[in-house]
Amino acid sequence: MSPSYVLRRLGTLILVLFGVSILTFAIIPLVPGSPARVKLGISATPENVATLEKKLGLDRPLTTQYFAWISGIVTRFDFGKSFINDKSITSEVARRLPATLQLAFVALLIGLMIALPAGIIAALRPGGKRDVTAMIFSQIGVSIPDFWMGILLIVFFAEYLQVLPSSGFVSVSEGFIPWLRHIILPALTSGLISGAIMTRFVRSAMLEVLNQDYVRTARAKGLSERIVINKHALRNAAIAIATIVGLQMATLLSSVVVVEIIFAWPGLGSLALNSTLQRDYPMLQASVLLFAAAFAVVNLLTDLSYVLLDPSVEYA
Amino acid sequence: MKRILGLVFIACLSLGFAQTSGGTLVAAWAQDPVGLDPHVTSAYSSFQILENVLDTLVTLDAEQNLQASLAESWDVSEDGLTVSFHLRDGVKFSNGRDLSADDVVYTFNRILDPETGSGSSWKLGGVTDISAADASTVVFTLEAPNPGLITKLAVDKTMGIIAKENVEDGTINTQPMGTGPFMITDFQPGVKVMLERNPNYWQAGLPYLDAVDIRIISDESVRRTALVTGDVDWAISVPAQSVEELKGRDDVVVDSTAAGSYWYIGVNLGRDPISDAKVRQAISYAINRDQIAEAATFGQAQATEEPIPASSAWSFGYAPYEESLDKAKSLLAEAGVADGFELEIMPTTQYEESIRIAQVLQAQLAPLGIKASIRTLEWAEWLEEEGAGNYDTYVCSWNVLVDPDDYYYAQHHTGEVFNFTGYSNASVDELLDKGRLTQDFAERKAIYEQVNKQIVDDAPYIYLYNPLNINAYRLNVQGYAARPDQAIRFVNTWLEN
Repeated sequence: MSPSYVLRRLGTLILVLFGVSILTFAIIPLVPGSPARVKLGISATPENVATLEKKLGLDRPLTTQYFAWISGIVTRFDFGKSFINDKSITSEVARRLPATLQLAFVALLIGLMIALPAGIIAALRPGGKRDVTAMIFSQIGVSIPDFWMGILLIVFFAEYLQVLPSSGFVSVSEGFIPWLRHIILPALTSGLISGAIMTRFVRSAMLEVLNQDYVRTARAKGLSERIVINKHALRNAAIAIATIVGLQMATLLSSVVVVEIIFAWPGLGSLALNSTLQRDYPMLQASVLLFAAAFAVVNLLTDLSYVLLDPSVEYA
Repeated sequence: MKRILGLVFIACLSLGFAQTSGGTLVAAWAQDPVGLDPHVTSAYSSFQILENVLDTLVTLDAEQNLQASLAESWDVSEDGLTVSFHLRDGVKFSNGRDLSADDVVYTFNRILDPETGSGSSWKLGGVTDISAADASTVVFTLEAPNPGLITKLAVDKTMGIIAKENVEDGTINTQPMGTGPFMITDFQPGVKVMLERNPNYWQAGLPYLDAVDIRIISDESVRRTALVTGDVDWAISVPAQSVEELKGRDDVVVDSTAAGSYWYIGVNLGRDPISDAKVRQAISYAINRDQIAEAATFGQAQATEEPIPASSAWSFGYAPYEESLDKAKSLLAEAGVADGFELEIMPTTQYEESIRIAQVLQAQLAPLGIKASIRTLEWAEWLEEEGAGNYDTYVCSWNVLVDPDDYYYAQHHTGEVFNFTGYSNASVDELLDKGRLTQDFAERKAIYEQVNKQIVDDAPYIYLYNPLNINAYRLNVQGYAARPDQAIRFVNTWLEN
């Protein structure tokens, strides 16, 4: 993998983000309802609304607004101020991004801890008891909506067993154990669902590999099943698994919105939802841009991981 | 003398109930404050926080009677055209600076300044000048007498007194500073607001709490769980369907009181056939308000045909619409729509309650031949559509109402900005104007009784029910009480060990 390839990919990534920035900027104000109206509420006169819109700069042409916004980002990495609460968007987003990343990462870890063993075991004897059991649980996991799963977990672990807090976030800097206690339930909610999805992919990736000639050869050579699976099958299934893990990570980053709302988790997802409801345009634009960036970066990392997993992959 | 009595009273209280100072109350809020600038925001989630941070000149006690606050006393000139407020001595902002009459003048001029864009400036309608007569006297000059003005200064914190430096340094919307019992030390939108004890608070010995840690928990069932597990001490609201279950627990107090608010159907009088009063009356006869209240609030409300709740001194008890499908049908026939018509109902996702109301209405109107459709909008869009008059009927509520003027004037006086229905009745206008100028209680009540009857009869609003204001908290939370105006005050609250 040449450095020029990575640079080229990064260049494309920046172009994509520019495209996303133009799209979000053009589309978001088309949604009915104005930030000034939301802030001033039912008791505002049309004059009040007009005054506030002017203050927020919404009376300027869209292109002028866009260039003011994008130049702030490019030159000073300044995403502007919230329309609703005047907070600096850069610092607000910076405060929330780690919470979402932590949640998505731990959820992915839980998902993998379920999917890898379950998918492999299921693939060893397709149609067998273990396969059917794994597939039943996977089907249940895929079918349960995340908000319901979240509430079930809260009722069971927080209210019935009273072993975990029902909601909220504690930063790692305040202690690992409190952090872990708070992240378990939201991460489990996303992780169980994503584990159920990934189990199916791991199973089919393994099945495909296990049917290959070289696996039959390996078995015929008299190698132990453990070596056949670990050395020959799993390695070759790794590329397909890495693809699905990359996609799942990207999906998790955006699907944690609901989980964040339920668990009062201060991440980017709940920020994006609140900004949508309050028509906080700049805050929403920044969140969307960041989600797009995270998605693109995860995809890039997935592509680069192929090189490590399969020596025959070469990017020039 | 008054102050000494006050101190003695406080001393007695502390002997009687043994309040303990200190501790942090963890409180669960449902909605994010929409900015914290008291003069710009309109969100009740913001005012409920500001209630503990800012003071007003006058305030309302738990029974909604006018009480002194930053103004120790006030007097109205004989012609009713000047109102003088005498400020309390020794009041400091939380940064330690003395409060002066200039701060009060600055505050009100800021609200009136069109540049501020305050949605509350209408409350000061008719005020032509606000000036400081001396360091502790503020004089309001009016173009006409307005006995309702003083109450408007007391309701919520839209008229909260702020400091000029707070506006000039640009922090008024993130960290407003006042003279109240607590000060805001941390605000993380969508996550939390931290209130800490104001060391310079003017009421000796108060507040008892060191801090209030406000967390935004938007999911109501999670809020309930957080309360029963003790993750939070106090919750702004709990799911209506959990109220009975929570009342049965021995570790949680469900504190409810009749709220000064009402839910209603707003009718667009510019559209046919609902422009005809007979059609609106037919709807009013056809619906079963008890069912609506039961379904919408799980029984946590009182069905009503008029806006002011029975608990208020201003209640009239006018209820002409005894449920009758026959009566409704004959009214529709008189209006020439005996076969019914199509009608749109517009609730909002902001209030689940409004959607439940719309669904019951849809079913209740079907026997009349009225084919109701429901158009549920998200809040920002709902506000646009309602403001632009793009609806047949909408479902909403008016909150934090105290004086009868609050219940009728802004909503029904011809040409008022909040008169969304387009109602116009010369005799109602005249009575509403007269009510504003009348001082005597009995005389005033007679005026508003006429207004109430006329509006209920004309039915631009079809009134449904008065809700209860419900807060819930752990047993160790003491000195807190749910209020009719939904204000949340932690000044007297303490935590029992």
